Amino acid sequence: MANNVLLNSIDHKDVKVITERSPKYGDNLWYSLTFPAEFRSAQAYYPIFFNKDPNTGQFFAVAMFGFQDQENLFLQNGKWDAAYIPLTVARQPFLIGKQTVNEDGQQKEQRVLHIDMDHPRVNLEHGEALFLEFGSNTPYLDAIADMLEAIHHGIVDSKTFIDLLLEHELLEPFTLDLELNDASKHQMSGFYTICEEKLNELDAQTLASLHARGYLQAIYMAIASQSNIRGLLNRKNQQLGL
Amino acid sequence: MQKPLKKIVIVGGGSAGWLSAGIIAAEHAADQDLTSQNNLEVTLIESADVPTIGVGEGTWPSMRTTLKKMGISETEFLLACDASFKQGSKFTNWHTNTNEYYYHPYTLPHGFNETNLAPFWQAYRDQISFADAVCTQSHLGERDLAPKQISTAEYDFNANYGYHLDAGKFATLLKNHCIQKLGVKHIVDHVTKVNSAENGDIDSISSKSHGDISGDLFIDCTGTSSLLLGKHFGIPFVSQKHVLFNDSALAVHVPHQSPDSPIGSFTCATAQSAGWIWDIALPSRRGVGYAYSSAYISDESAEQELRAYIAPIMGDKEAHNIAIRKISFDPGHREKFWHKNCVAIGLSAGFIEPLEATALALIELSAKMVSEQLPANRLAMDIVAKRFNSKFLHRWQNIVDFLKLHYVLSKRSDSDYWRDISDNSQLPESLQEQLTLWKTQAPYYYDATHTEEMFPSASYQYILYGMGFVTEEPRKKRLDLTKRAERLFNDNAKHTKHLLATLPTNRDLLNKIKQFGLPKI
Repeated sequence: MANNVLLNSIDHKDVKVITERSPKYGDNLWYSLTFPAEFRSAQAYYPIFFNKDPNTGQFFAVAMFGFQDQENLFLQNGKWDAAYIPLTVARQPFLIGKQTVNEDGQQKEQRVLHIDMDHPRVNLEHGEALFLEFGSNTPYLDAIADMLEAIHHGIVDSKTFIDLLLEHELLEPFTLDLELNDASKHQMSGFYTICEEKLNELDAQTLASLHARGYLQAIYMAIASQSNIRGLLNRKNQQLGL
Repeated sequence: MQKPLKKIVIVGGGSAGWLSAGIIAAEHAADQDLTSQNNLEVTLIESADVPTIGVGEGTWPSMRTTLKKMGISETEFLLACDASFKQGSKFTNWHTNTNEYYYHPYTLPHGFNETNLAPFWQAYRDQISFADAVCTQSHLGERDLAPKQISTAEYDFNANYGYHLDAGKFATLLKNHCIQKLGVKHIVDHVTKVNSAENGDIDSISSKSHGDISGDLFIDCTGTSSLLLGKHFGIPFVSQKHVLFNDSALAVHVPHQSPDSPIGSFTCATAQSAGWIWDIALPSRRGVGYAYSSAYISDESAEQELRAYIAPIMGDKEAHNIAIRKISFDPGHREKFWHKNCVAIGLSAGFIEPLEATALALIELSAKMVSEQLPANRLAMDIVAKRFNSKFLHRWQNIVDFLKLHYVLSKRSDSDYWRDISDNSQLPESLQEQLTLWKTQAPYYYDATHTEEMFPSASYQYILYGMGFVTEEPRKKRLDLTKRAERLFNDNAKHTKHLLATLPTNRDLLNKIKQFGLPKI
């Protein structure tokens, strides 16, 4: 169970965070949540698909790391073998919390930094420190704070993006048929991708409105990212020694 | 050149009128090409001062297709009609009156299209009920589980389902959709007169303040008054009261015990001394009613039985005081349904107790056939009408037989009603024959004599074996299918376990739908 607490420089002055990448730190992820603002970075390494949250039925975009549950084909000897790690993974063990503050007599909601103290990365000996000697943030913690801010805005934006995809019927389910080097066949289903047929039928006005929000680029980034399936397959063959 | 059929006039609103309007207008794109020669005009005239009967709160799975075709969002429908999921019916006290029950689920027995499991179940009949052995859905019913998840797309399912709904709200939703999206013309006025053409067709109907409204085809959705087919054309009524005794109903709306009480997804049909009580759970209330035979019980005694039924739900005092609505009906149907240029859909065509929720299903089937077989001109109409009549006469006979089947296998002898209604000598001949045959062979494909039968042979299996009917074990065959049957039984058990672990309760899912809506894909 997560033990999320508000981060502060007094209680947590000696806390360190291990940044090594390994299954024991929860990095054995099949996929992680992503959003249009990081599609450009993510599509360089990972296929980007869409998936439904089983608890809400709402769609979100994901960067794929493997073909099945708990399979991350980028993990190798304590390293993540790609130059870009999606922010929703990189931010661990931190998360965004909400705090109500009283500002000039008005109740306002403010985003604050939380940390999961039960996360296996959290300890007092190894890894990155969070605070400098006199209580100011380390560059590491500043970078984390920036990440969480980017995630927050990215997820808000993602909802608008996906609502538009659904409105224009631009998502379609697909089944991925895979054949490994030993000729064994596998299937992956339950994910969704951009329907190129519908995309090609969009009128100029719709295209212009998607473009104005930067979503046209995101759509093509998602389509281009599919070429990374080949790379994932190569990693899978390699891992199995095929 | 025959004059093309261009104008349909539907007389009467309610579920029948608006469903018919929606089904026809959606298929024929009545909202488009208003200037085109081929355009079909659909007009619905309803009176402001005629209340709809407002029963018929259960649908078949076919309603999913019907709504989808009309372009209605399932989320919108569920929320607007106070609707929940219906997965079939649960019958209590029909067989021996010892609190026993059985299920008639909407899902076919596992592997039904390749293997008939009924003969193989006979060996296990004392260990597991037929529905439990061949289908997942009775297990879901016992736990009030939903037939799908929040991530399942609109109209898709994990287990086949229709709906329980508020009939009044349903008619309103359909009306708005028909007018706003499907181009149906709406006239609120009172019909005063039916005007004949030279050939005996209906030429037009006169209204109080909209003058004469002419049309090429008139659809009679005027309810039990059957204004066009019954009153104007005098098509005789065929009573089925001698087979199905129930001719009265008492209906009441009952609040849930608590706001988070489970919402059952089976219509509960509990047998009483002279009929049965339906119990339908909607998100915000339950609809309960007693269908009975006035020849066997007085209205007062029937009312007492109904109040006794709802007392545990709402408390003695409230159950004693709540207002109950009485409906009287003659069970049966018209001798034919399509006469000249007039076709009756809904109660104007016939009415029977709501035991298997056939009312809305018949409306869908009728409107679908009218729409898909819509005659291009008057010459073609007589041929389509002939086919329509033979098809729906067969369907009515089917319904009568199938409903009767629920009664004839009863072992109850605690009242004259049950002794008389289960009397074998009073059976329709068609049912008599089937029952003889089923003693030595289980119902399967050969029992369907027409395409699109009202009830698949699976439904007969659920009722027969739910009511303790015995089909002799089949003789040994060269090709032994026992192994395959065992595999299907095991698959079903496995699949059941999986669904029990993954499906939410009806109440949970409906709450989530309120919050997030169902995904479109």
